[in-house]
Amino acid sequence: MDIRTRIRDGDRAAFGELFDECSKAVYNHAFRLTANWSTAEDVTALTFLEAWRLRGRIDPDGGSLRPWLLGIATNVTRNMRRAARRHDDALARLPRGESVPDFADEVAGRIEDAERLAAVRAAYGRLRRQEQDVFALCVWAGLGYAQAAEALGVPVGTVKSRLSRARKKLAAAGEPPPTGRQVVGDRGPDKEEIR
Amino acid sequence: MNWPAERDLPEGRRRLLKEFVMTEIDKPAKRRVPRLAVLAPVLGLAAAAAVAVPLLFGGSPAYAVEKRPDGLIDITINEVKNPEQLQKDLRAMGANVVVTYIPMGKKCSPQPRSSHFLSKEEAPLAVFPPPEDRMGQGFTIDPRVIGEGRTGVLEFSVSEKDGGVVAGIWARVGQDPIAGCELVDTTDAPLMH
Repeated sequence: MDIRTRIRDGDRAAFGELFDECSKAVYNHAFRLTANWSTAEDVTALTFLEAWRLRGRIDPDGGSLRPWLLGIATNVTRNMRRAARRHDDALARLPRGESVPDFADEVAGRIEDAERLAAVRAAYGRLRRQEQDVFALCVWAGLGYAQAAEALGVPVGTVKSRLSRARKKLAAAGEPPPTGRQVVGDRGPDKEEIR
Repeated sequence: MNWPAERDLPEGRRRLLKEFVMTEIDKPAKRRVPRLAVLAPVLGLAAAAAVAVPLLFGGSPAYAVEKRPDGLIDITINEVKNPEQLQKDLRAMGANVVVTYIPMGKKCSPQPRSSHFLSKEEAPLAVFPPPEDRMGQGFTIDPRVIGEGRTGVLEFSVSEKDGGVVAGIWARVGQDPIAGCELVDTTDAPLMH
């Protein structure tokens, strides 16, 4: 039985496997959307709680659940207050960051990430919300058109047109369109167009 | 444009978060207040009975609509009456919508009322979360998302509870034409489609 069916059927072990496989992708997607590593942790936790709540909606057919999770993370980030309210008791129990040894390089790197992302987000913030979603999923998270369409629940053609508009706006704003990221996984015939 | 490389959760945090998530999903689901009441409680003044309304309300309107400078429209429902006039008022403000009030235990028939409804993401007609000054005050819609050849469908589920009116909204943009609404009995949750 594949992981989609197992999770849909309420298999907790399978859900744990999904966390192991996808938590990093969700965490980084959340950081790109929030520009805050700490908030990204909250979003990650909320995303998986929401995913469990919504597991009955998983289509038994399909590949990786990563696009579905990133779609949930996108909505959680946007509707943080609502998601937090739904899981308010749980969030109160969410373990906060503990005092850890000062890994100076790691800390400096994270600060630098946030500063670098802040510059990127200035341009990103000028996009319409729907263009932001598509841009974050296709360009930052490296999803293919079909996967982004699945994540957002919109047709593939809509993803393509929104991404195209986003790129044009960024270019017009003086930000060169970013080069594509090499990602693992099937991106189909659209791969070249993403770049 | 340059952005950071992907990072993993800090040492130990991933394990903690996983433990947290796995523990939480093991807990029985918490009983929730019906979504209707949570989503948008319109805490009108007492609406003990429609007959007594004029006396009780001292002339306050059944509903209120106000257009914002940015084009959004605020809707507040105080009483369960006159959806036709609300629809007219909204149309006069440029919002091509149909408005239906749906009592508890009822739903519209036929369903769906349009051959194609756009998703909430494609056409977010109901603004959520609402503007800060409208939190808990009612509903805000964005008529700009409707577009040509389409109509906004606003279905309000209204009930009277604890002396106040509680309203929930279902708002979608559908391809024309939009079917009329004949109220039929249902045991589904309010505004279930």
